[in-house]
Amino acid sequence: MQLYQQEYIANLRRIAVLTARKKPEGLPFADYEARMDRDGEQAEALVRRNMELLRGELFPVLDNLFQADRETLEELEAFAAELLNAREEQDAGLFCQIYRALLSLARQKDDQGGMIRSLYWLGIGRNSLCSCLVGLELELSEPYMTAMRLCFTEAAAYLKYYDEIEDDQTRGYILRSRANMALGAFKSPGEKVALVRRTLQILQDQEYQAKAPGLPWERFIYMTHQHMAASISYSKEKVLTPKDMTDIMESVYIVYQRRIQEAEANWEQPPVRWAFPYYAIEYYCGISRLDRLLTKMEDLMDAADPAAFTEDSMYGLISLPAFYCQYLQQYPERIPERREYVESLYRRALDYVESFPGDLENESLFRYLRQLSHTFVETEGGMPYGAFMQKLLIRFAPEIYVHSLAVGEAARALCGLIVEEEPDYFDDIEAVRVLADPEEKRQAILDYAAGCGVFHDVGKINFMNLYARTARQWFDEEYEMARLHAPAGNSLLAARPSTSRYAPAALGHHVWYDGSRGYPAAYRRLECPERQMVDIISLVDWLENVTHTARLYTGIERTYRQAVRDAVDQEGRRFSPLLTVRLQDGPAAARIEQAFEEGRRRARRQIYEAAPVEKR
Amino acid sequence: MENMDNISAVGTALQRLEALERDNEALRAANEDLEEALRAAEAANQAKSRFLSSMSHDIRTPMNAIMGMTSIGLSHIDEKARVQDCLSKIQTASAHLMSLVNDVLDMSRIDSGRLTLSEEPFSLADLVHDIAVIVLPQARQKNQELQIEIGRIEEEVLLGDELRLRQILVNIIGNAVKYTQEGGAIQVSLTAQRTAGEGPVELAFSCRDNGIGMSPAFLEKIFIPFERVRSAAVSKIEGTGLGMSIVKSLVDRMGGQITVESREGEGSCFRVELALPAAPRSRGRLALPEGAVVLVAESGEERARRIGECLAEGGLTPVRTRTGMASVTWLTEAQYEERLPCALLLGQELEDMPVLEVAAHVRQLAGREFPIVLVSEDDWAQIEYRATRAGVSAFVPCPLFSSRLLDTLSELMGGGRGNQSAGGELNADYSGSRVLLVEDNELNQEIAVELLGLTGVQVEVAGDGAQAVDMFAAAPADYYDLIFMDVQMPVMNGYEATRRIRQMDREDAGRVWIVAMTANAFVEDVRLSREAGMNEHVSKPVDLERLQEILRAQLKPGGRE
Repeated sequence: MQLYQQEYIANLRRIAVLTARKKPEGLPFADYEARMDRDGEQAEALVRRNMELLRGELFPVLDNLFQADRETLEELEAFAAELLNAREEQDAGLFCQIYRALLSLARQKDDQGGMIRSLYWLGIGRNSLCSCLVGLELELSEPYMTAMRLCFTEAAAYLKYYDEIEDDQTRGYILRSRANMALGAFKSPGEKVALVRRTLQILQDQEYQAKAPGLPWERFIYMTHQHMAASISYSKEKVLTPKDMTDIMESVYIVYQRRIQEAEANWEQPPVRWAFPYYAIEYYCGISRLDRLLTKMEDLMDAADPAAFTEDSMYGLISLPAFYCQYLQQYPERIPERREYVESLYRRALDYVESFPGDLENESLFRYLRQLSHTFVETEGGMPYGAFMQKLLIRFAPEIYVHSLAVGEAARALCGLIVEEEPDYFDDIEAVRVLADPEEKRQAILDYAAGCGVFHDVGKINFMNLYARTARQWFDEEYEMARLHAPAGNSLLAARPSTSRYAPAALGHHVWYDGSRGYPAAYRRLECPERQMVDIISLVDWLENVTHTARLYTGIERTYRQAVRDAVDQEGRRFSPLLTVRLQDGPAAARIEQAFEEGRRRARRQIYEAAPVEKR
Repeated sequence: MENMDNISAVGTALQRLEALERDNEALRAANEDLEEALRAAEAANQAKSRFLSSMSHDIRTPMNAIMGMTSIGLSHIDEKARVQDCLSKIQTASAHLMSLVNDVLDMSRIDSGRLTLSEEPFSLADLVHDIAVIVLPQARQKNQELQIEIGRIEEEVLLGDELRLRQILVNIIGNAVKYTQEGGAIQVSLTAQRTAGEGPVELAFSCRDNGIGMSPAFLEKIFIPFERVRSAAVSKIEGTGLGMSIVKSLVDRMGGQITVESREGEGSCFRVELALPAAPRSRGRLALPEGAVVLVAESGEERARRIGECLAEGGLTPVRTRTGMASVTWLTEAQYEERLPCALLLGQELEDMPVLEVAAHVRQLAGREFPIVLVSEDDWAQIEYRATRAGVSAFVPCPLFSSRLLDTLSELMGGGRGNQSAGGELNADYSGSRVLLVEDNELNQEIAVELLGLTGVQVEVAGDGAQAVDMFAAAPADYYDLIFMDVQMPVMNGYEATRRIRQMDREDAGRVWIVAMTANAFVEDVRLSREAGMNEHVSKPVDLERLQEILRAQLKPGGRE
């Protein structure tokens, strides 16, 4: 790797540490706050340096890629391998950017081996980006899944010319691409199973094996069995054919037996991850009933070691609970008898993630947390979904939390000013309209505003790699993807009774007041009874973003005064004129600015209190 | 003699009596006629009274909306979005009111014989597409299955009054949509066949629905003005009751026939037959290689069959795939074996993924010249931006006419037959247009010049921003049609060069389209290039498709006048 590449990687690691928000034992809040500021400044300086490195060093290489020498290209691939590999994901966006350029070059040069390799790695990069889309409706994630799948499909199509390809490495890429065609979500689980089945047939074909004896065939086959076994997690019991079931069952047994043998050889417990498909397939095949499966899952979750920060413990304590709750969502009549267990399950998951070391570098942990937050089951008297999500934001996305609480405080302040003059301003909202007592009504509006602020960006939990671990500005493609935080937040909040009223704020806060621009199209302002509140969140979110939060990934930065002026300039188009008129009133604008500060400080206090203690 | 006189008198009396009886008979007949006329007049009067009452109601309904929305808008005058919503509702109500008035005027023109029909050449393909664009959204709104099936079309360009013909067909299909329940089915078919030799073309149109149907009594009066089906089921359906009588009058004026069959509760079927002369042929030969393969990616059986038929008509061989993955696999193999099909036809939908995502990948896979044609029921205006960005070369609307499809393919393959075109074709010739390429790297210059040169565009090269500014300053007004500007360059970077060009005191300085060409792909870079005055941003290494797309959007094929 070149020096700039090494420096970039080192900066990524350093930024991850700086944003981890650890608290040395006994550090008072004031010092912690000063440290947060210092860390923040250092992280920003590193982000700026990263941008310099990319602009000054990498981009000129990509600019002139057609005349790059072999060594430069190899270094580029080595750099990409550091950005994303099986152990860690440092920067999947930049990884994709590099492989997109290398693919263009290979196509231009008609370099078949280069094309196959670049397609494979670009597919891997895109798959990594797709992992953010867990839990989103297929309609939203489909374009990204498709782009990933077609890279693998094109590379796999060269299987037909397997005999003509001379090097085993390229043959390996073709075979792995063939297997990876089944990655991601499908319209029907049967489609996925059929693809894995076909891959297994190819991998087990002696003729293919004989022509490339150097390839790790056993590992390929085993990984594909794992893939098949894991597909049970995405399946629905009524859509799989008996043939699908049989194939999955076979793979499940192969994987389970091998894991048991490995565990026995090492005097360990069999891993939780592969025991679940073993029990699940028995249920899907009708050998056992759902209650038995749920009990078995409980046993597995209980067996997971909360003191071990291994992949298997993470799976047992976070991902498996997500699948467990998914069953409960499908069969809600099973919830009452499991209420206490569900409660303990969430508490354990939160305790576990709070004690997790080096958390911000673990992509699996984020993926599992996304699963858990998308399948959360609210129980009577149990932990409300909002409280759960708030804890996740404080722990893993402190900057988003600071922003959200600041938005909530400012929204409260603005609502307070409005309600003083127009008590009926929010009467389109039924829950507000029905309140007769003026003080009760005022308080309900202020609470609602604060809640909308806290939860409006909750969908960013899906995109923590973009928001919480920003180590450079975004690429266009990432900007597009980040927009999905609005529908993601909406679906998270709308599905739970205690948070459903905040869903419109999550969905609509980036749509322009006149509907001419913004996203997503699914929010139609005039059809939304909560639109007056969404307008408020939209305005204060924008003000906070351009003055504080967004500069890291979009490069936009304004002072509060400039931002207010810009907001007023956009009145009637982007923002409601009924709100921008308040900003033109000096004391009101100052009150809102003060509320932003109070919100930020309160959020920091909460982050301080929740921060993991760094032992001296 | 006296007897004779008596006889004669009796005879005369009898004659008088007969005459009287005849008179009486005539009187009775006249009376009956009068009574009939009176009854008809009364009936017409009643119908007109009903019409007036119905019109008053129909006019009042949109008027109420207009007045109501106006006052709501006035009371929320500060709230732009609310006012906008009111205005859009007022617009809808006004449009409806206007259509009511137009119907009445049409009827009065027809009644007074003042309606004249034009005889101009028109394309059946355009006509059917226009109709589909109007009626399909209405049917979708009611979750109805509306199928438009194009049968044998022996002549596609006919002579007649296209506007009135469209009025007839939209009225009939529109009625079917109106009077068919949610989730119902409507089947429309159209054929245009020659009856004999060079004689006129028999245009046969039918529209069958499974809607509420009509009673035999109403069926007798369907073409009488001001009559409407009266039942609880249709009480909320707007209309003047003039539509079908206008249709009948227009068909009569065109010398055609309209028939209707209907059963209450089961549905209706309207048939229109018109004999129209074919327009003189002006089409050249198609440049389609006999037997060449076209890959058809479409999951719908019926749509794939229709596309296959059309291709076969042009001597082409369709190969069909149902999924995006199968299409990409097939094309990769074909490319490797150097047997790429002559085009990819992407249909309405695929089993596994959205068609435009497949287009985007195939564009990269198969290169910039490979024709990708979208055959779709969607409105091109709605999807054009996304489709062209994805790399679609041309669009052919559904319902599918073979001539339209074959002409498009022929043009994309470098042939074409003159005056027909569909969608925005990729490989247009821009000879005569002039582009300034600002790029410091010689190899990049060479590649870009090579690529741009293929389109016929004249390329001039500047090695850095300062040179570009000098060249622009020295050139006469509107000399350059487009500037591709690298960003990182020695002497003067692209941002600065753009700023200086924009600041020049000449009319074209603000107008010339400047495209940033750089690997700096951050959102901020896009913003910076815009702030510097650039109009667009292209990532490096240059996406060949994107280059073509910009030329297509900014330059006129054929070059400057």
